[in-house]
Amino acid sequence: MRKISRLGHEARIGWSLVAPALAVIALIAIFPLGWTFWESLHLDELRMPWLGKPFVGLANYIEIAKDPRFWAALGHTAFFTVVSISLELVIGLFLALAMNRVFRGRGFVRAAVLVPWAIPTVVAALLWRFIFESQGGIANALLVDAGILKQPMVWFIQTSTAWVPVILADVWKTTPFVALLLLAGLQNIDLTLYEAAAVDGANAWWQLRHITLPLLKPAILVTLIFRTLDGFRVFDLIYVLTGGGPGTSTEPVALYTFNALLQNLRFGYGSALSVVIFAITFGLALLYVRGLGVRLGGEES
Amino acid sequence: MRRGPASRKLKQGALSLAANSRSAFILALALAGPLAACAPTSNKGETVLTFSGSALGAEGTLVAKQLKRFMELNPGVRVELQRTPDDASQRHQLYVQWLNARVGNPSILQLDVVWTPEFAAAGWVLPLDRYGPPRAEFFPATITANTWAGKLYALPWFADVGLLYRRTDLVPNEPKTLEEMVTDAQAAMSRRGGPRYGIVWQGARYEGLITGFVEYLGAFGGRIIDDKGEVVVNRPEAVRALEFMRDELYKTNVAPLDVLTWHEEEARFAFQNGNAVFMRNWPYPVAAMSDTAQSKVAGKFAVSPMPASGAAPSGHSTAALGGAQLAINAYTDHPDAAYKLIAYLTAPEQMLERAQAVGQYPTRPALYNDARLRSAIAIPLENARRAIESATPRPVTPIYTELSEILQIELHRALVRQVEPREALNSAAARINALIERTGMRKLMSGAAKESAP
Repeated sequence: MRKISRLGHEARIGWSLVAPALAVIALIAIFPLGWTFWESLHLDELRMPWLGKPFVGLANYIEIAKDPRFWAALGHTAFFTVVSISLELVIGLFLALAMNRVFRGRGFVRAAVLVPWAIPTVVAALLWRFIFESQGGIANALLVDAGILKQPMVWFIQTSTAWVPVILADVWKTTPFVALLLLAGLQNIDLTLYEAAAVDGANAWWQLRHITLPLLKPAILVTLIFRTLDGFRVFDLIYVLTGGGPGTSTEPVALYTFNALLQNLRFGYGSALSVVIFAITFGLALLYVRGLGVRLGGEES
Repeated sequence: MRRGPASRKLKQGALSLAANSRSAFILALALAGPLAACAPTSNKGETVLTFSGSALGAEGTLVAKQLKRFMELNPGVRVELQRTPDDASQRHQLYVQWLNARVGNPSILQLDVVWTPEFAAAGWVLPLDRYGPPRAEFFPATITANTWAGKLYALPWFADVGLLYRRTDLVPNEPKTLEEMVTDAQAAMSRRGGPRYGIVWQGARYEGLITGFVEYLGAFGGRIIDDKGEVVVNRPEAVRALEFMRDELYKTNVAPLDVLTWHEEEARFAFQNGNAVFMRNWPYPVAAMSDTAQSKVAGKFAVSPMPASGAAPSGHSTAALGGAQLAINAYTDHPDAAYKLIAYLTAPEQMLERAQAVGQYPTRPALYNDARLRSAIAIPLENARRAIESATPRPVTPIYTELSEILQIELHRALVRQVEPREALNSAAARINALIERTGMRKLMSGAAKESAP
């Protein structure tokens, strides 16, 4: 009896100690989310006050489900995320392995590699736009000189070629970040493992497959979480580079939502879209965190 | 102590906040904007107006000068200049957010030509009819664009029109038809040392694409929405207009594929550097292109209205209408004084002064007989006047912005050859009809038609 009440007392102190933090979380995360959700159940078109602001239940969500442009945007987002992250992981791993070696000027190289990451996304996007823009652009000049293209092309008017600058720009900008995260993972690996393996006659490839990669898994997963969530919210890069075009064939969900919410000022529908994006990213995060937790647990045992 | 207008405004803002329960985001913007911009401290009995309009560079100097003169003529009124973004869509967004929060500042709004019906239907601007505005003194198209449900909601301040620029050294005579324009372009391109491009226009997926399309559409006798409010953008004339634009890119090869990513400035650079025979653009580049220091075509170009198609009997020469309008904020405390200012700024003298200072076209036909305008506008007055007379407003409807977005996407899809023109326009028509249903426009428009019937 006494024990229970003591626990209760401690629990109360505990709760009161975390209360401010919980209040802050409620204020900055839960409250806006709740409001957005409430808004998403209404028809609220800022430009059309004559429609009023009636409660419409799930009508906005039904409109989303029926809108081919939304599904296409979801597809574009998934495509962008998968392709750019795969490239970033592979190239980032190479960079990390290289930077992990001991060589003169390693500190300088590590810092230099981060430069693209330090450039604001919009600036980077404008840079890449400049490179690929117009038939007289730098990319065209280089490719024609190298004999890869017969004549200059307009990159942004075909879906397949419009993706090239978008994905290149993302890979260029974000690979350093991926490399850095992986490098941190590499430095946690006990070097004696390699020494032991070398004594046993294992070659470099065997060491990579059976020591480096398995022990790097947590770092890879952390990287994947960050990058998938980033990739799913991609906005500025595509906004500047293609504007979602040609037509709407490179439009990601974030751009579509921006359009509904801030261009067309459809607050109800836009809120519903925001809730959907939130649900998707939340689901992905949960999936990853669970995956990560299992791996970490497995490692400890 | 008397409470100043600033605190009163704050209180109004807070009340409207409670009443509307808009998202905090909007409120922050809505309140911070006008409050930060101006906290007018008025003497007793003085009427304070706030004016927001293009206020950069020479235009800013001019506006300040005219406002000062207005205040001298109207001693009881003080006008304060409130800065708003020069970018049209940013200004639009701010206006909508402020008006949703029922903010009375700025008292005079500068509207883009396609916003007036939207603001009128929303009840954000006041009808001007009770002040007896001199409708007949303005170009009819500029009045149509500002009329909703039979009432006039804004006065045209200056006009922008789509024009056809032509290299006179390569094509001495103005082409009479679109078809002639294409053959002229081809002939000039195939000359030794002729320009790379035949015609350049604005084909990126944005509002500029619609203005260009409206001109080709009129040239073939098509419309987007007809007088009965029916969506007719997928009729054969419209399909032919879009096919003509597409043929310029892929068949007659007079327009470079680059134009599908171009806005006004890219087209200007190409023409100004001597790389194009024709260009579709607004009047603004005339000044820069006449300057020998930066232009390779100074003295070698002329401007005329866009021609009609020679193959479409119902087609007519058409220019897209742009420009700025002045309207009264419905939440202002001083609508009468606000109208006085609008009437002053749109009076012939101020308009002429504006044309002389910044080269913007007056919206009053009478001024085109005034010799003083000749030196202000770098092109023959007759051509300017003809272009404005052939100007046609884009669809005059409160849902214009979303309608335009639908069309931009579908036109662009057809022009980059993702779909066929007919298919694109059918899809546009279906989506515009769905938009009309969703927004209750059908009812609103029939109501508007009834109201406008005397």
